[in-house]
Amino acid sequence: MIAVGAWICLLSPLVAALAIALGANRFSRKATGYLATGSTAISFIAAILALGATLDRPESERSTVTTAFVWLGTHVGSIDLALLVDPLSLVMMLVVSGVGSLIIAYSIGYMDGEEEERRYFAYMAIFVFSMLLLVESANFLLLLAGWGLVGLSSYLLIGFWHERPSAVAAAKKAFIVNAIGDAAMMLSLFALLQHTGTLDFAAVFAQAEGLGKHPALINIVALGLLAGALAKSAQIPLHTWLPDAMEGPTPVSALIHAATMVTAGVYLIVRAHPLFEQAPYVQDAAAGLGAATLLGAGLIALVQTDIKRVIAYSTMSQIGYMFLAAGIGAYGAAIFHLMTHAFFKALLFLGAGIVIHALGGEQDMRKMGGLRKRLPRTFACMLVGTGALVGLPPLSGFFSKDVILAEVFSSGTYGKVLFAAGISGVFLTALYSFRLLFLVFSGEESEPARKRLTKHAGAEGPGWMTRPVAVLALLAIGGGWLEIAGLWHPFSTFLDQVAPPLVGAPSSAREWLLSAGSLGIALGGVWVAWTIYSARTQPAPRAPKALVEKLYFDRAYDLIFYRPAVALSALLRTLVERPVIESSEREIEAQTLTAGRLVTLTQSGLTRSYALAVAAGVSVIVIFFLALR
Amino acid sequence: MLGPGIPFYLGVASALFAIGLTGVLLRRNPLIMLLSVELMLNGTNLALIAFARQHASLTGQVFALAVIAIAASEVVVGLGLVVAMARKKIDLDIDVLSRLRR
Repeated sequence: MIAVGAWICLLSPLVAALAIALGANRFSRKATGYLATGSTAISFIAAILALGATLDRPESERSTVTTAFVWLGTHVGSIDLALLVDPLSLVMMLVVSGVGSLIIAYSIGYMDGEEEERRYFAYMAIFVFSMLLLVESANFLLLLAGWGLVGLSSYLLIGFWHERPSAVAAAKKAFIVNAIGDAAMMLSLFALLQHTGTLDFAAVFAQAEGLGKHPALINIVALGLLAGALAKSAQIPLHTWLPDAMEGPTPVSALIHAATMVTAGVYLIVRAHPLFEQAPYVQDAAAGLGAATLLGAGLIALVQTDIKRVIAYSTMSQIGYMFLAAGIGAYGAAIFHLMTHAFFKALLFLGAGIVIHALGGEQDMRKMGGLRKRLPRTFACMLVGTGALVGLPPLSGFFSKDVILAEVFSSGTYGKVLFAAGISGVFLTALYSFRLLFLVFSGEESEPARKRLTKHAGAEGPGWMTRPVAVLALLAIGGGWLEIAGLWHPFSTFLDQVAPPLVGAPSSAREWLLSAGSLGIALGGVWVAWTIYSARTQPAPRAPKALVEKLYFDRAYDLIFYRPAVALSALLRTLVERPVIESSEREIEAQTLTAGRLVTLTQSGLTRSYALAVAAGVSVIVIFFLALR
Repeated sequence: MLGPGIPFYLGVASALFAIGLTGVLLRRNPLIMLLSVELMLNGTNLALIAFARQHASLTGQVFALAVIAIAASEVVVGLGLVVAMARKKIDLDIDVLSRLRR
């Protein structure tokens, strides 16, 4: 049952993608949407069945490996086409297929009337397949295959509107930055394979302690994996692609760049935690970079004017929290926040999608405002999503973020420093998310909004768009109740087999105390946002240049990598290409022609001279042989 | 073994070959050149048969028969071409007939 569920879950979106690709015009545009949604829903049902079958088993036997066949047989060992179903991958499967089917259903309404809907739905289905492959694989190689495939589908979907140069550039940027991470990851897997002779999760992790005795090796392996995770999850310093990735359609941003793919890095760290635990410095680096990202992205989000970019930076910031948790060893908390974040961030993106859809493609928040009356249900959903993001009880984010903060607080001196970053992040989160909410929904109705919205009735879009948003809103409210400090924690208990709980976990009294503190700080942030952007009793402060410039990362990379590369190429062109290669090409051509002309002299066309040559040649041979005797 | 010894045969054979070669090299009429080639072939044939006789082996004779057959086919083609050219009133001069060069 578990094995069948896992395979159906994995292959159903692939079948849909192939059907759409091969069926071409035989499917109507709507039908491709139904096909993609249906196949992902089937994946979700299969994942639930697998979950049920897993829960029936005793706790120690909840990890199932199902092998289709030997994929690569080598002299050092073989790598199987095998899936691993355990609590961790089940959570990821449920999130990917569940949130995925809701978002693809939403796209049926959002993408309606788009020129190339079929291509869109085929890409979406491919993405879901790749993501499921990533989370279900039982060895590092298959994980890497899924890792590359999600990068590919992300590239394809960011550049979906390929007639826009900015979208193409964004797609390319995402692909290149991810390729850096992929390459690092691959090198680390080579090192791993050389020393362990296998890439199977179970076999590698069984040897983890032995690997820990070679500090150089284990640090390289962990660093390579971390680099892959940083690139995929858009963490500093490989984060620059995510804000640009907002060029893609909004449901793509919701599915790939908020709910699922960008959290793959967190999944990787949690999955490979036996390796990371042997390399404590790398773990600390992961936590530190997470903290840096959550602060940096939170700061940049304060000054963004594009509604999707604010949410994109917020995503980076929230994944920063997950890296923070995974880095200190609070794996359950990281995955829990990953799940609730998938709910409320998908909700926020889809809500923003409704706003953008209603305004005919307008994404600038300065041109919005006063939409509360026109889009009341969307406002309610966005309010829920924002509340969950900020961590207001009893919404989901309250529970998941506070677990992370409490566990960070109780992990040593370094933990205290990270905690300070995390708690400042709470304030920033409250500030930027309520800034977004107030700018879009409160205040005077702006001119473009009034013009667009009076024309339509039903501005919030068709039922295909509103219903998934409503479901996500319910999930964003209730998703956190799986884990209530001091009362019950079925979620982390379920995960404990795969991701052991933090040693010295905080007492629930301390957890509640910290929750109260962070709630107070969050409310402070909300109050500041209210005074500036809604009540307008304070003038909006001018945006600092450093933040508008996104902390100069793009500039720095341009200066450090792009320009020297271009300068070097130009130099090589003048020093090597032109004088050496191009002129030698010309010289070789001229010499060949001259030689050819010389040879044509022998081709007189006179039969008798040929005969003479033959006779002369024969006589030479004869004389030679005679002389030899 | 009756008759003259091998050196005489070889002498006649090489004389035939040399006359033929001279004809091929010096004459410009394709018809005469074909005849000269024929002389060269027969000089070779004579040498082959003479050696076959000396070694009492049939191999050389069989080889000579093959050469005769090939020479016959060659003459068919060559003479056919020469006759066709003569019919078209093409100048039968081998040095003029160098169009294949271009």
